[in-house]
Amino acid sequence: MSRSPRTSRRLAAAAVTVALAGGAVACGPNSGDAGAGATPHRGGTLTILNQDPQDKFDPAREYTSGGGNVPSLVFRTLTTRARANGTAGTKVVPDLATDTGTPSKDATVWTYHLKDGLKFEDGSPITSADIKYGIERSFAPELSGGPPYFHDWLAGAQNYQGPYKDPKGLDSIETPDAKTIVFHLNKPEGDFPYLATATQFAPVPKAKDTGVKYAEHPISSGPYEVVKNENDGAHLVLKRNPYWSPKTDDQRKAYPDTIDVQSGLDPAVINQRLSTGSGADAAAVTTDTNLGPSELAQIGGDKQLAARVGTGHFGYTNYLAFNTKVKPFDNPKVRQAIAYAVNRTSVVNAAGGSSLADPATTFLPNQATFGYTPYDPFPAGATGDPAKAKELLKEAGYPGGLTITLTHSSSNADQYGPDIATAVQDGLKAAGITVKLNSVQESGYRQTIHSVSTEPGFFLAGWGADWPSGGPFLAPIFDGRQIVTDGSNFNSAQLNDPSVNDQIDAINKITDHAAAARQWGALDQKIGQQALVVPLFHPVYKRLYGKDIRNVVISDWTGVLDVSQVAVK
Amino acid sequence: MSGTASLLAGETAQVSPAAGAAQVWRRLRSRRAALAGAIVLAALVVIALSAPLLAAIEGQDPTTYHDTLVNSASGGVPIGSFGGVSAEHWLGVEPGTGRDVFARLVYGARISLLVAVGSTAVQVLIGVGVGLAAGLGNRFLDQLLSSTTDVMLALPSLVFAIALMAVVPSGFPRPVLLMLVIGLLGWGGTARVVRAQTLTLKELDYVAAARLGGSSRWRIARRELLPSIAAPVITYAALLLPTNVVSEAGLSFLGVGVKPPTSSWGQMLSSATTWFRADPAYVLLPALMLFVTTLAFTVVGDAVRTALDPRAASRTKVGTRGAVS
Repeated sequence: MSRSPRTSRRLAAAAVTVALAGGAVACGPNSGDAGAGATPHRGGTLTILNQDPQDKFDPAREYTSGGGNVPSLVFRTLTTRARANGTAGTKVVPDLATDTGTPSKDATVWTYHLKDGLKFEDGSPITSADIKYGIERSFAPELSGGPPYFHDWLAGAQNYQGPYKDPKGLDSIETPDAKTIVFHLNKPEGDFPYLATATQFAPVPKAKDTGVKYAEHPISSGPYEVVKNENDGAHLVLKRNPYWSPKTDDQRKAYPDTIDVQSGLDPAVINQRLSTGSGADAAAVTTDTNLGPSELAQIGGDKQLAARVGTGHFGYTNYLAFNTKVKPFDNPKVRQAIAYAVNRTSVVNAAGGSSLADPATTFLPNQATFGYTPYDPFPAGATGDPAKAKELLKEAGYPGGLTITLTHSSSNADQYGPDIATAVQDGLKAAGITVKLNSVQESGYRQTIHSVSTEPGFFLAGWGADWPSGGPFLAPIFDGRQIVTDGSNFNSAQLNDPSVNDQIDAINKITDHAAAARQWGALDQKIGQQALVVPLFHPVYKRLYGKDIRNVVISDWTGVLDVSQVAVK
Repeated sequence: MSGTASLLAGETAQVSPAAGAAQVWRRLRSRRAALAGAIVLAALVVIALSAPLLAAIEGQDPTTYHDTLVNSASGGVPIGSFGGVSAEHWLGVEPGTGRDVFARLVYGARISLLVAVGSTAVQVLIGVGVGLAAGLGNRFLDQLLSSTTDVMLALPSLVFAIALMAVVPSGFPRPVLLMLVIGLLGWGGTARVVRAQTLTLKELDYVAAARLGGSSRWRIARRELLPSIAAPVITYAALLLPTNVVSEAGLSFLGVGVKPPTSSWGQMLSSATTWFRADPAYVLLPALMLFVTTLAFTVVGDAVRTALDPRAASRTKVGTRGAVS
């Protein structure tokens, strides 16, 4: 998928951002006083308090999962994620299109028809040519930042440089009439409807395109339009788009009249302001800040605050990665011994405790949409099985124990840091494995672990998919043809097993998501036996929201409190 | 630091080493604050040296995780009052990991004292060397070394320390690295004091006599000057110690100090900052240790300065205790 360190960072960053956007439904929309029993109220101002600015607010440059949170208020796409709680929210649903797409027999050609009555913020109609143009401009080098799938999937798009340099456009996107758009792919991709939720599928009117300046005021197709965009998204104010109609959009609720997005705030400040809730902060939410373990401990004793904490799941797995080219990790018995020895309870505690992390034995996240199949090839209980690990080490030729080095990031930010590493270290100690810690500066960590030439033998890693499906979760990590020797390589174990590769190809042809999910689950289990990674935990996100917030919806797709659904009192 | 430097540079310590020692000791002992500080320091040294023993008496070690002693569902806060204090864990356990706080504190004392003493030694060695060379050398050497000293004093040492700590490969032993980094960045003050002293002393008759008698510069430095500059150097070193304790804690606080799982007070304080509401005990303990240590060092250092300063000593007699600054 991602072929350069830049995209890889963005991919991971996007995943984490989305992950961090964990959300809100410990108490669901219908529970408790702070929930939203009554009919949601229209009007008012919703304030969003964030750490990261909503920068590069251009549909070509956003890297989002399911169209993003704030971006999805302004940009409508061919399909979108279902705005529903939990599992129901992992479905892909039509947005601008009438359905989620009609595939050809082998899923290489996808056809969409637009709904009637779709309009931009200036009242002009949205046509299929606007969508084609929106995708094409994401190829322009000056508008970089989007996901890599367009280059990889669209036929003949590998070297396309965007409409500014090459106005002829892409032949693989056809618009036979103003309401029809056809995509020709170079390989079967059953997951295409999921990709069609990306902001690159938002329509862009060619006449209004101002290139890199488009980010200052992108033309809205969604319920809100940009009124103010200060310092590249540091402060964003949105108001209603009069030409948006709920008749063509059954997903976005758009209750508030105005949305004020503020950024550059410290996480502790955001949580403090949300918990105090004075003035405009009472009607505030955050889309990128979690509650930390200590904040959770503090809230634990306060019932009123606890009722304002939402829980979100986003498909993400933190794991121990092996480079099987490095001794002694080439020996499956050593890897299995480590898998048995890991104390997941300590690791989960280091990650913030059982409210913020679920112990993991599968690589796929624990949600049906990914194809989650519960399995544990190395059952060691909650705290590890040092006796079994010692036995395996003996068989592997290390009867007197083993000394290995675990590489980790210098920062605990993404749970790749010393906290998790020392918890792993302490667990392996019981099995006679001495772990030395090698700390790598945070800024260079991802590059170190994702370059074949610098990849350590044993390190902390994590993976989140761009959409809730097994494909983008398993393929980059285990597809042997995705081993990248001169760029970003995510196949850390450097597994190149033809039977695995063939199976990935076969599943990509399946357009029935549930059927594909079952197959991904089976493949995950098959690969899991080889102990190429040791899954540690799946993070859980706790999010505080203001006391006047109603109609809290959080999907398992994003794990985020969906700002298109909330109402303010 | 530089304030003290100018202050000391103005003084001419005339204490003759032979007669001085006993007198200095008497003066030190007569000051109750100094005595208390010294006792606290001695206790800290004993704690640091016997850390494994103390932890063994408690029945704990500083790195073992205790999953059952923290409430996993509420962020890993220790179960029980005052951060999980119990008969097994005298000062409670660390949130999230359940590691024993008492064991981590006593082991942390080792790092704190070792790095403080080590880096002070580095600072004094370099400072004395550079100061003597500048004071005795020719004009060119003096200018070169004095300018270097000025640069060292002007360097934003914290920024430099962070950068240095970050670039050195992680295989290098961290306590040694901390000593070197703090030491190499902090010798400027000592060098200035020593140079000023040297310049004054070398004009005195007994030094001139030695020079006329054919002594080499090295011999003059060793036999005539060093004994006389010992007093201000010791004073200065005593005041550097608490600064270095804080420097080590600061670097560890910023995550560039010793590596986990080694415990250090600064690191404990750093991970405790987010816990100050949910588990106040965890913040207070390392903070208290740091406070007590720096206070003891400062009180003793101040007393040493007064005891070695003849003018201050005479003032002590009339009861205006060393309010020099």
